[in-house]
Amino acid sequence: MKRSKFLLYTLIALPIGAMIIPTVVVLSVALVPTAVAFIMERKKGFYGGITVGALNLAGTAPYLADLWFKGHTVDAAIGIITSVLAWAAFYGAAAVGWAIYAVTPNLVSSFMAMTAGRQITTLRARQRELVQTWGPDVEIVYEPEHVKAQNAMSGNKSTSMGNQSQVAAPAGLE
Amino acid sequence: MAEPASDLREAPQRAPEPALAPAAAAPAAVPKAVPPPAPEPSKATGTFIVVRDRYTIYCEKAIPSLDMPNATAYEVTDRKQEGRPLYALVVKTDMPPRIGAMRILKGLEIPHVLHLVDWGVAEWPPADRKCVIVIYHRPMGGRVMDSMGATFRRIPDHLFAKNIIKPLSEGLVELTLKGITHRAIRPDNLYFMDEARTNIVLGDCVTSAPGHDQPVSVEPIESGMAMPSGRGAGNFYDDMYAFGATLLMLSLGRDTLVGVPDQEILRRKVTVGSYATLVGEERAPVAVLECLRGLLADDPDQRWRIENIELWLAGKRLTPIQGKAEVQARRALRLGDQEFNSIRPFSYAMYVNWDKAMTVIADGQLEIWLRRQFENNEMADAVSAAIKNSLAMPSAMKGEADDVLIARVLIVLDPRAPVRMRDFRVNLDGFGAALAIAMLRRDKLTPFADFINKDLWRHAIAAQPKLSAEQQQFEQVFRDLKNYIKDTTMGDGVERCVYELNEWQFCMSPLLASQYVMEVKGILPALDNAAKSVNTKMWPIDRHVAAFLRARYAKGTQAQLDSMNDQRTERATIGMLSTLAIVQWRLGPEALYGLASWVGGLMGPVINSYQNRNKRRDLEKDIPKFVRKGNLAELYNYLDNPEERQRDGEGFNWARAEFSAADKQIYDLEHGQFDRQESAMKLGRQAGAVCAVAVMTLTLIGCILSKVM
Repeated sequence: MKRSKFLLYTLIALPIGAMIIPTVVVLSVALVPTAVAFIMERKKGFYGGITVGALNLAGTAPYLADLWFKGHTVDAAIGIITSVLAWAAFYGAAAVGWAIYAVTPNLVSSFMAMTAGRQITTLRARQRELVQTWGPDVEIVYEPEHVKAQNAMSGNKSTSMGNQSQVAAPAGLE
Repeated sequence: MAEPASDLREAPQRAPEPALAPAAAAPAAVPKAVPPPAPEPSKATGTFIVVRDRYTIYCEKAIPSLDMPNATAYEVTDRKQEGRPLYALVVKTDMPPRIGAMRILKGLEIPHVLHLVDWGVAEWPPADRKCVIVIYHRPMGGRVMDSMGATFRRIPDHLFAKNIIKPLSEGLVELTLKGITHRAIRPDNLYFMDEARTNIVLGDCVTSAPGHDQPVSVEPIESGMAMPSGRGAGNFYDDMYAFGATLLMLSLGRDTLVGVPDQEILRRKVTVGSYATLVGEERAPVAVLECLRGLLADDPDQRWRIENIELWLAGKRLTPIQGKAEVQARRALRLGDQEFNSIRPFSYAMYVNWDKAMTVIADGQLEIWLRRQFENNEMADAVSAAIKNSLAMPSAMKGEADDVLIARVLIVLDPRAPVRMRDFRVNLDGFGAALAIAMLRRDKLTPFADFINKDLWRHAIAAQPKLSAEQQQFEQVFRDLKNYIKDTTMGDGVERCVYELNEWQFCMSPLLASQYVMEVKGILPALDNAAKSVNTKMWPIDRHVAAFLRARYAKGTQAQLDSMNDQRTERATIGMLSTLAIVQWRLGPEALYGLASWVGGLMGPVINSYQNRNKRRDLEKDIPKFVRKGNLAELYNYLDNPEERQRDGEGFNWARAEFSAADKQIYDLEHGQFDRQESAMKLGRQAGAVCAVAVMTLTLIGCILSKVM
């Protein structure tokens, strides 16, 4: 960033900051977990910071509302930041954010695994139907390119036949 | 009578046959449809059959005195003309009768020829199968000579020409005009039609192959050398010879050669000539001497024709025939313990002493003898060429090569003689009948195949000094036969040869043999009938039926029979069905319940050729419906519907693609664990962030609104 731009932003931010000092005071104490989250998870994207920050802010929201609507003063701000209850709210909400950030990937993974199992069952049932209708000659086993290449290198060309038992032909079918 | 199945009736005093089962009467759920019920088998005792609603043939009343060597005689009554003297000859089943001659002679009243009243194929209870039955006018005077060994009361010389020669020659003239050779003229096949024994006639000539029953004594040298089944239709010269020999025996009152072995008769004929052989120590009546010499000339070109007899009967005296003497060698050639000065007797001796013949050929004596003693370089060169060809054959086939070489040398030495190879002796025009008889009698067919494959026919044709138009035709015929024999698929092979060569040969398939099917249109009804008794796991078309169809109906069934030989079972099966279907479609009959049921049960491979199991089940379910209709064409169209086949093929390909795609998806799902965790992590974090932002927004709005309000 160019120096002139930094000066410009500082010139704009200072009067605004001076106008909202009480808010800044509260936020600087309340959003410490958010800052930590952003710093810790910066290499994994900003989802950690956003999740923790959003809930951290949500925990701060009632106190900010009090500050803004009951007297936007530094004394009031100091009153908030010296309240144990306020701290509990700020950091408790941040902890919930951390919890959400930690748990949701596993939840989604489990859901996806469950969906894939059902899909495989459906596909196998369809394959069985096809074998029942068209006979075992209909079976063609998929072989990915890298397996084909491996087989070609090792000279083993019979893997596709070996895999044919994946779909068992129903009893009585030729 | 020629339409067999409908001809057979039970005896009138028996209960009438049950009516034919109507098509609809077949039980709906049972695929094996019910064919018309078979007539009750007739018992051999006290039975008779009625043919053409007219002739009653009594199975139990045989007439041994009128039996023929290959046919048994039975009493017959004519319902329309009571008292008409008739008798029937039932032809033995191992003998192909002369159907072509029967068709011409039927109903014709040729003077001095036994009147063939009717003929046909009918169920013959004693044989429990269908047989050819020929009905003749019964000769009331019996045979002229009961057998060849019997004697005949000599007729005074001045009456011999009038009472014997004239009437018989009139009969021969008529036969000649009809284009029929008799080939069975012999003393024991002449009859007196009247009890007074004045009206002499020529006997039956249709119940066996031409010349088959003739003793060697009454056959020309060439024909006599052939085995009985291989003598061939011959020509009118052969009839004239047999006529001459018969007249000589009648004029002498006996056959002078009775008891003499055939080989000896032939040796004498070849050595001293036919007339001298037949007369022996006797003296022929001077009145007929000229005629007898003319008829018994061994050279067919010199032999009397029917016109010569007419002239002779009219009183014109002709130049007596002097037998052409064989060219004699100054030095004899030795074979075994005999010496020979002329070629023909030597060649016959070579045949008789087959195992010794090779020595004179191999050491070159024969070739030198021909060159030096007869100055016949052409013949010597031909012998030399045959030896060279023989040497070119692989040594493993030495014995076979020697036999072929001897046969070829015999052809060169005596071109008019039949082709001889050990026991196989056949004239070119007799090959077809000989093959048919061998097949009927289940004899070995190897000599017949060798005759064709070793090109003996070609050498025989090439050796002829004068090639007749008929012999030229043989070349093409045998060339075709060679191709048929090479092809061993159904419809070709030796079976086809027999049907190609014998126009009226009945189909010899074990499935049909008892039904005597001679025409293509008879095949399906016979198979329909056979369906009741045969093992229906067998195909209804075997090698004989296929060859019969190929020979008789090639134009209509060529493609179908080719398809029947396909290596793929389902194509072959559908080929079999299509062959039967096209024959039914073109020649009828409308419904064949038994055959449809039989064929329907063999359609497994065709049904299984459809990939779709549902379609297979549908086909299995529907086949009985078509079986109940008895229509093979409909069954074929249903089973081999091109649209259904295309749909099945397309569906199968689509199913394979679908299966493969599903397999790929399953593979991806099963092998995509790592990717899924990564994406779950990303998705989970995104979802957490979204939820957190939502909570924050709602909280902020809630707090602000609570303060404002």
